[in-house]
Amino acid sequence: MSYRPRKSGYLWILVAGLVLFGCWGSAVSSALGNEQLLSKSVVLIRGVSQDWNYSMPWKQTAMNWGSGTGFVIDGKRILTNAHNVSNNKYVEIKKQGQARQYPARVAFIGHDCDLAILLPQEMSFFDDTEPLELGGIPEVNTTVSTYGFPVGGELVSVTEGIVSRVEMDNYSHTGADSHLVVQTDAAINPGNSGGPVMQKGKVVGVAFQGLRQADNIGYMIPTTVIRHFLADITDDKYDGFGSLGFTFYPGLHSVSYKEYLKIPDQEEGIVVLQTLLNGSIETILQPGDVLTKIDQYDVDNDGKVLIDDLRLQISEVVERKQIGDQVEITFYRDGQIHTEKVEVRLNRPVLGYARQYDKKPGYVVYAGLTFVPVSRNFLETWGDNWLPDVPHSLRYLFYYSQQLNQQHQRLEYVVLGEILPDEVNQYCGKFKYQPVEKINGMDIWSLADVKKAIENPDGNFCMINFMYLDWPLIIDLEKGQTRHNAILQQYQVSADARISDAN
Amino acid sequence: MKIKTVWFVTVWIVLVQALCPPQSANAENKTDPDQTEAFRKSLVYIQASVYSYSSHQPWRHTDLSQRIGYGCAVGPYEVLTTACNMADASFVTVQKFGQNEQIPAQVKVIDYESNLSLLRLDSSAVDEPLQPVSFSEDYRKGASADFYWLDDDGRVSSGRGYIDRAELYQSGFSFALFLNYVISNVSQRSGLAHLFCKDGAAIGLGCWYNEDIKESGVIPAMVINQFLADVRQDDYEGFPLVGFATAPLLDPAMRAFLKMPEDLKDGVYVSDVWTLGTGSDMLKKNDVILAIDGHEIDAYGKFEDPRFKRISFEHLITTKTVAQVLAFDIWRDGDKQQLKITARNFKADDMLVPYYEYDQQGQYAVVGGFVLQKLTRKYLAGWGSNWQGKTDPHLYHYFHELAFKPSDERHDIVILNLVLPAEINLGYQALRQLVVTKYNGMPIRSIEDIIAAQKLDPQGKFDVIEFENNNPTVVIPRDQLPQADALIAQRYNIEQLAHLE
Repeated sequence: MSYRPRKSGYLWILVAGLVLFGCWGSAVSSALGNEQLLSKSVVLIRGVSQDWNYSMPWKQTAMNWGSGTGFVIDGKRILTNAHNVSNNKYVEIKKQGQARQYPARVAFIGHDCDLAILLPQEMSFFDDTEPLELGGIPEVNTTVSTYGFPVGGELVSVTEGIVSRVEMDNYSHTGADSHLVVQTDAAINPGNSGGPVMQKGKVVGVAFQGLRQADNIGYMIPTTVIRHFLADITDDKYDGFGSLGFTFYPGLHSVSYKEYLKIPDQEEGIVVLQTLLNGSIETILQPGDVLTKIDQYDVDNDGKVLIDDLRLQISEVVERKQIGDQVEITFYRDGQIHTEKVEVRLNRPVLGYARQYDKKPGYVVYAGLTFVPVSRNFLETWGDNWLPDVPHSLRYLFYYSQQLNQQHQRLEYVVLGEILPDEVNQYCGKFKYQPVEKINGMDIWSLADVKKAIENPDGNFCMINFMYLDWPLIIDLEKGQTRHNAILQQYQVSADARISDAN
Repeated sequence: MKIKTVWFVTVWIVLVQALCPPQSANAENKTDPDQTEAFRKSLVYIQASVYSYSSHQPWRHTDLSQRIGYGCAVGPYEVLTTACNMADASFVTVQKFGQNEQIPAQVKVIDYESNLSLLRLDSSAVDEPLQPVSFSEDYRKGASADFYWLDDDGRVSSGRGYIDRAELYQSGFSFALFLNYVISNVSQRSGLAHLFCKDGAAIGLGCWYNEDIKESGVIPAMVINQFLADVRQDDYEGFPLVGFATAPLLDPAMRAFLKMPEDLKDGVYVSDVWTLGTGSDMLKKNDVILAIDGHEIDAYGKFEDPRFKRISFEHLITTKTVAQVLAFDIWRDGDKQQLKITARNFKADDMLVPYYEYDQQGQYAVVGGFVLQKLTRKYLAGWGSNWQGKTDPHLYHYFHELAFKPSDERHDIVILNLVLPAEINLGYQALRQLVVTKYNGMPIRSIEDIIAAQKLDPQGKFDVIEFENNNPTVVIPRDQLPQADALIAQRYNIEQLAHLE
């Protein structure tokens, strides 16, 4: 529900095979497990991924081999983690005890919930397999078993653990999405990702991430999230998890604030701080409203609801809906109670906090100046310590874009990224990494606007104004046009713009 | 009053000259490479107790610490040292050659921009007056330079190097750029306010040292002499300061865009104009400064000084006195113009976000556990090394973009720093680093406004504080405030719940 970026100290396992750490669990040989389950349901996944270079987005980075785990579910499908097959170029699956490798394809991928469905190219793969059945949310302090191929081994390993917590938490694959997770003390190591976590013969989760700082703390995606994903793709496309698009503060612990907002004594709820521009709730809620109920669930002063005997954030109510579904909200404004229906939508902010995959990044190159949207992927090009290291203007936008942007027409922020050195831009270095405000007098609300503005100059110069710089970048129009193609050729830029995927 | 002062200064100078001939008079020693004997009655060793206030809990002192420094006499009972040595000094003692007792001293003037400070010694504790040094403005690139200081054991030590160049530097304590000599190949580490000499004559005070490249920075004689001349006036005014930002104007496309003729090669671009300092009232963004007082300014913002060669234009401003007029030749809107610009200065306190806050307690008010205070660079720097990337970006934005732009609508940025947990602020205890916009409906232009705002709506039940960026409104029950404030003061050991003067 809230899009404020987290300042979490957690460093999650990102991609199987990339991060190794020494928290090995009590691995038990496959001979001790359920033979049928092991040989007929759990599969080894190997694949090649290749990301984009977000500074020079016409290029891709080096290829990377990785491995993970998946398992057969009903409908002759293989369920695994999205991070096992993101930016995928090639994927193959393999059953334990068989030499044959089966090329496969990614049929559906949900990066926000870190789940994917694979289909082998030959359906005969399923001839001797047994689909696993989904169960419920395991109770705290019960035993679960995690199956998988840690560190790329070819035999299924099993680790047992105790469920220690069920709560909403960050999904590290995108770095921004938060859903229900189940925490266990079973070690989840690279390669385990995507494997089933079993209890009483049923799947109660998909192993997906661990905690680097602590020994033997692993997390699984619970079946509520899996079921949402599977229901979402029944129409042959994945829409994602929706939200209502507002931020709130659990401020009603203050009796005075409650009285100031004219909320009856017996009511609990949360104070609305801001609604997302163009969001589904923008015209319904206002800052200072107090949300007291969502569907049939009473909202407490911490912003939680009691759902399935678990006290969870109110976003869990929305999480269980599909895009386009409605929720009913009850809120107070100026002492009056109101009830409204609200549509669940993606409600993504203009500067997405989520890491993106499987999407060609957009760009515009003009006279060697590369314009790209400000995104987490672009900011992460500064390295592991990117958040304090990125230039202030970009960090400011990343944290505060929702508060700073008051323009409904804005689709994204655009920044001047890499400069391909040439005589036409040799004095432009000081403008690098500055967010763009206007080009040739035209407001820039998206990358598409950059292209339009450059194509419509006024006079003999192209003038680029920046949001946090008081002087413009000037390109001699004639020289810019003369040098443009030569620069593209020199730096092997196949096309001077890629816009469609970004917008 | 003025006449009396002039008389006093004249008599004082005569007395000083009679009693203590200036060290530059030792011209006969010019060829003697060792001046330790000559300067021993002029050099002092300084110890300062430093007792500042916490930036994040401004009612609390930080731990007491000691700082050592050096200095040299500029009067029989006056010592010149760097401001860096004296920042937040609560008690200062001076040790002179040949006297075992430490002599109490007081900071008479401190100027963080030029990085100079004048100490006044307790004359009754001095057995023999110090021998004042006068500073020679002689400068020769490549000349040998010696430096001297008095150690804590009463011994005069020395080092050597070569005058490499003159360049403008920031002191590290201030935003202002001032001329420094750079001494290269120094034989050993130089300290703050070591006395640098050329041919036996004092030429400046050490102000920085770079271990990696064995270079020392020196506050040159011309800055020192200007400081001392100002100090001898009734009220110390300080150096004029620049009131605008510039950017190199190298790009031919930008020059053409500004309609500058091709044969006009010089000029630096005015990229921003502040609301404080020299030129802030006359210059505009997009102006190009072509010359100041007849000195042509190049595209990098430098001019040719007869002695120091190419140095930054700021030197032309800081070497004026406040209220003097400078002639700025500028390029504006496709034409040359000349502006008469009055040299102005300002204090760090005048800034929207003060660059420093030494020798004083920060302003704050604790209301119901809500700690309201003025945003300063010191506060932001409290996040430690690389604080620029660690502080809240919105607060840093005010420093980065608007520090030099106070306005009638906003003199200070007032923030809610943190909440001291207590029953009265239940529900709000996680709030921190929020910019206050209104207090009881009154726009908050400065921290002092809180006093007036608290008196508004006397019959009202609550104090109400609003913030930027859609943050929660703080509502404080007035009837509980006196008791809660007393409890908070006791619990968190706060002697004074507000310091707003």
